[in-house]
Amino acid sequence: MAGSALLRRGREETRRRPGGRGRGGRSRWRAWLYLLPALVVYLGFAVYSGLNTLLFSFLHWDGFQTPAWAGPDNYARVLTDPLLSGAILNALVLIVFFSLIPIAVGLLLTGLLLGRVRRGMTFYRTVFFLPQVLPLVAVGTTWRWLYADDGMINQALEAVGAGFLTRAWLGDHDLALFALGLIGTWCMSGLCMVLFLSGAQRIDPSLNEAAAIDGAGPVRRFMNVTLPGLRREIGIAAVITTIAALAGFDLVFVTTNGGPAGQTNVPALLVYRLAFNEGSIGAASALAVVLTLLVIVLVGAIRLLTREER
Amino acid sequence: MSPRSETTAPGPPSGRAGPVAAGAASVLLLTSCAVLTTGDRLDNVPHDVSTDITDEPVELVVAYTDDPPVTELVEGFTELHPNVSIELQQTPFSDYIKTVTLAMSSEDPPDLAQYNPGAMRSLIPGGYVLDLDPYSEAYDWEGSFPAASLEPLRADEDAARFGEGSLYAAPGALSVIGVFYNRELLAKAGVEEPPTTLEEFEEALERVAAAGIVPFDVGGLGVGGIHLWNALLNAHGDGGAYRDWVHGVPDSTIETPSALEATRTFTRWVEAGYVPASANATSDDDARADFATGSGAFLVTGNWAAFELDEAMGENVGFFPMPGVDADQEPLISGSSVSFVVSSQTEHPDVAAAFLDHLSSPESARIQLGAGFMPVDTDVTAQEGGVLEEINTAYTRVAEEEGIVPFPDFVTPGMIDRLTPGAQGLTSGTLDEEAFLAEIQTEWDRVHGR
Repeated sequence: MAGSALLRRGREETRRRPGGRGRGGRSRWRAWLYLLPALVVYLGFAVYSGLNTLLFSFLHWDGFQTPAWAGPDNYARVLTDPLLSGAILNALVLIVFFSLIPIAVGLLLTGLLLGRVRRGMTFYRTVFFLPQVLPLVAVGTTWRWLYADDGMINQALEAVGAGFLTRAWLGDHDLALFALGLIGTWCMSGLCMVLFLSGAQRIDPSLNEAAAIDGAGPVRRFMNVTLPGLRREIGIAAVITTIAALAGFDLVFVTTNGGPAGQTNVPALLVYRLAFNEGSIGAASALAVVLTLLVIVLVGAIRLLTREER
Repeated sequence: MSPRSETTAPGPPSGRAGPVAAGAASVLLLTSCAVLTTGDRLDNVPHDVSTDITDEPVELVVAYTDDPPVTELVEGFTELHPNVSIELQQTPFSDYIKTVTLAMSSEDPPDLAQYNPGAMRSLIPGGYVLDLDPYSEAYDWEGSFPAASLEPLRADEDAARFGEGSLYAAPGALSVIGVFYNRELLAKAGVEEPPTTLEEFEEALERVAAAGIVPFDVGGLGVGGIHLWNALLNAHGDGGAYRDWVHGVPDSTIETPSALEATRTFTRWVEAGYVPASANATSDDDARADFATGSGAFLVTGNWAAFELDEAMGENVGFFPMPGVDADQEPLISGSSVSFVVSSQTEHPDVAAAFLDHLSSPESARIQLGAGFMPVDTDVTAQEGGVLEEINTAYTRVAEEEGIVPFPDFVTPGMIDRLTPGAQGLTSGTLDEEAFLAEIQTEWDRVHGR
């Protein structure tokens, strides 16, 4: 994805440059020369491995012995296995927690901080962005303890007299997925806020002033000036967080490992198990391809929705 | 992949992504196919077997994952044979299967590697590990190693069926699962003696629960639930059927009356609250730490935890094997071993075999005991009382009656991913007993066929 975006941006640049199109054969050569180092890395580590995965998905292979051609077998297995449909459904639920709620929280925080906080902005930005900097394995382990039977969340509930609600959250059959999702919300909200804050600061202040003179209150100004101005940032935030929700692995692996009883299985976790526990590189690759297609479709839809009209 | 091919196509850059990708794809298909073709099965039967080893300097490489006891065992051997120097290559367990499979099948494999059933399914069919039968005969390993410890290390040529066929590894330290208990908490609940039948155990659990004490610490997030179920499976007997099933004997099934009874006991204990509701969110490490700090009365796990629990709890921790339905039924305990295979490409098979033979010596037994494992030589017993001796006594009794059976996740490489969620489903009450066993059997059928 990153690569195609790069190419597209490059194309826009070319178009804007006057005379860039005429007899620009040589300059085009030079452009490719500059692109070459990045291109080699991109082709070698992204395209090559991606295509390899595609090839593996048509093999019966344990990663080791002579592989046999499998045709569509792996795809048939992956698409008919109820484990997989469950995992995809879970990933879609996680989009709510990893993407929708963080964007809403990010917008709210932006609205609260913008224009009001003059000092200490760096402090807020750092605090809310911190979860992004921490390794997810550390985040997951910490949250597992917070959610534990005798963890801080249950202690807090008991302190406010809600002891009847306490449970081992990540071990609860019905609530584990939501508990897991909230960790994602915690991680992603700060990222959204930082994106939106920087976007909002780029909006021409005269627009806000004009709206204020016309009598618009803070809420009105946020809805009619800031929000439309953040369209692109919201699009980017949605893409990043949706990919994190769909392709996420580490957080689930350390907190629940798909449990209890598969309630928090996600596709990436099953890819890992198929490849490294079961030794079915073919089935793992097929699932990875399906997951990639799902990401492309959803991200495509988001980009379409948040596209700026010209 | 040459950069030139990307720039030959005329037209604006936007039109090039297609041809570039197509070019890359064709190159990839060609190279991949070349890479994927591997050779025929290697010759893995040793010739000119000798139990005498050379005095010349020899260097061996050992790939392994478990420490202790590997380092100590290797040191014990090199002390005895100063002309042999051994280089140790350790890999964390999470990466071990992958690493050892690649290393043992490479051009320059380690001479010895720690056994792993998952890796063997690839290495044995390729002929990468030495058939040890000639050495077993020369050294009389059938006489010096407990039979039950060698059995799971045998396999047929395709590694489809275990438990019979050629011997591919020798065990260096043995482990078993059983019940650790907190003496103080049991005394508080009025339980005087460790139970000798399952019924007595249930009575003890009832008393413990009535005294307001958590009966079990269970690491259900990890393998804690599986161990409890497995121990109950052992307690309900039927060792023969279980052994066949684990070894992949055709037409075996886990859907037996005794397995169903064991699973029902598990769920009955869940419903009675003996298995805490929080089990599914508790890791094995956390459950062990909870038990060590006096949270629960019982913990079902392997003797690998003995050393740590002994240090933390001292006199307060005890051990008994999960008691059977009848006091006098044939005892059965699930266990495994830290074992070693020899590369079929090693230049020093005799030295490697001498190392394997040394694992059954009394000197090695003391190292194995010291590291908290069960010794290969059962004549050597733990000196100082405590929980280590209790485990040793229990193990020796079961081993003498050949009652040590492999763990259920040994069956197929993907079995652990059916057992863990299955035990969690039983714990949360969302999966019934029949469905649990059917789920496990489906995985068995997928690999071993019906």
